[in-house]
Amino acid sequence: MSRARAGTYALWQLRDYLKDRGLSTLIVAALSAYLGWSMLTDKVPMPRPTDAASAELLVRFGNAGAVYAARRAEFSFHFMHDTLGAMIFLGALFAMNGIVANDRKQGHFRFLFAKPVTPSRYYGQAFVVHCVGFMLVMVLLALLYGVIVWPVLTLQFLLVVGLMFVAYAGVAFLLSAAARWDWLSLVAVSVASVFLWSKFGASTHPLARLLYLLPPLHRADEVYVAVSGTPVISAAGTPAVPWPLLLWFGGYGILSYIAGLIVLRFRRLAIV
Amino acid sequence: MIAFDHVGKRYRSLFGREVRALDDFSVELRAGEVFGLAGPNGAGKSTLISLLLGFLGPSEGTIRIAGLDPRRYVEAHGISYLSELVNIPPSWRAEETLKRFALLAGVAGRARDARVNDVIERMGLEEHRAKRVKQLSKGNLQRLGLAQALLTEERVVVLDEPTHGLDPVWTQRFRDVVGSLRRDDRTILIASHNLDELARLADRVAIIDHGRLQRVVDVRGTAEPAAGDRTPYRLVLARGTELLPAVFPAARSLGQSEFQLDGLTLDEVNAGLAALLAGGALVSMVYPVHSMLEQQFRDAVGVGEGSS
Repeated sequence: MSRARAGTYALWQLRDYLKDRGLSTLIVAALSAYLGWSMLTDKVPMPRPTDAASAELLVRFGNAGAVYAARRAEFSFHFMHDTLGAMIFLGALFAMNGIVANDRKQGHFRFLFAKPVTPSRYYGQAFVVHCVGFMLVMVLLALLYGVIVWPVLTLQFLLVVGLMFVAYAGVAFLLSAAARWDWLSLVAVSVASVFLWSKFGASTHPLARLLYLLPPLHRADEVYVAVSGTPVISAAGTPAVPWPLLLWFGGYGILSYIAGLIVLRFRRLAIV
Repeated sequence: MIAFDHVGKRYRSLFGREVRALDDFSVELRAGEVFGLAGPNGAGKSTLISLLLGFLGPSEGTIRIAGLDPRRYVEAHGISYLSELVNIPPSWRAEETLKRFALLAGVAGRARDARVNDVIERMGLEEHRAKRVKQLSKGNLQRLGLAQALLTEERVVVLDEPTHGLDPVWTQRFRDVVGSLRRDDRTILIASHNLDELARLADRVAIIDHGRLQRVVDVRGTAEPAAGDRTPYRLVLARGTELLPAVFPAARSLGQSEFQLDGLTLDEVNAGLAALLAGGALVSMVYPVHSMLEQQFRDAVGVGEGSS
């Protein structure tokens, strides 16, 4: 009995991700970083070592070098807070867009699944590989950012980025397995989640419980703010990572991924 | 080996209109045979193949491959399959494509490169191995599609319009390839518009039209026309055309001493030829206008002599 060597095929899938999607993610991340940077520096100038330190800050931090470091940390916090969420959302959109739907629309499934491999195994593995690929891209970006602005790469940062990515990517995977217009559906689900949670989240009406079917994206900012660094000048410290909320996000993504696998197990591939 | 049992497939359009792509289709394909599938455009051939590979589920009836549901069979054993449209991501290179499919087909590590090189050589793709799929001509793309189907020795081979886009040289080579694929434990299904090709390759041919099986023609058993069949013939005379009106009054001239004889049995044609020869005519050629399979096809789908 011939069995597909799907595990080895993961290397091809990683190559596909890095070449087709990872590069785009890097470019778009760089562009959105530039945009965020431009908008931020309009309000808060990028600190320079030659900037004069106020007496108050000198008293608070001890010397001009420490004031400069505090200003950079503050600047980095605002930058990360403004851009991290968008980068993860766009990264998930790029990583998962058409992951199943494109093969169905373009007919690539015909040769793939005449081979002894199940769609759930093939695409389930592609999901994991794309997650790994995205994390590699984020590590690269975080290292670059650390060299240029301020170090942000920590285990906690990676966990938060990974779980938030899984939240979006899991939903996108399910939508791609179930529908043709997956990227549009992901945007619609995200907008609807934020809107409906914000508008009816506090409602006591029994129907409001249906909101739990949607991801709590209206609270995503609480997660991002906890890993954006420490605004040492404007605040006393960094809020703690809201782990229960983060696990809700991650769990939602994983459940969506499993639902996607179930759809792939039972749904026929040909589009009629 | 493969059994279709009262299989039906219905689609519903956006506006709720029901379309029957396949209706009450029953046939059994035996191990060791080459089975042809013929039918006009939209007859249901592609639907049938999608059902066989489990890409679609039947609305009625059952399909079994070696006793298994098609999807289960494919996922356990794989099928050598060439689709009508060769859909491979355009950025993949030819050799890369084959390496990927060899992995998915389960070709073991050491044998993989040898197998890929073998099919590249067999399909004459050596000079195209580094080209991207989007750079390949239609014929080369078709050969690449065939190459990926030949990577493994599967017991079921499904070829949908396999010579589509191939030049005459490669069409002939394809016939040789199919000949070499014949094996006692293997079933080969070929769907084609090309009846001449099916007549050469297949043992039996199912003719379908409007989603229904019209008839199964035993190509090997009915290679010759039966004495009572009234099938049109063409007659070419090198001498004695003036004798023709008396012998075959209904003969139609096609120019250059060629005539069509319609509505005659084989006995009547032979009797007429004997009379022509006795009168001093010199016959250079007599042949049926349609092959037996083509005649069966025309009868099954209701194509008259005047239509194409």
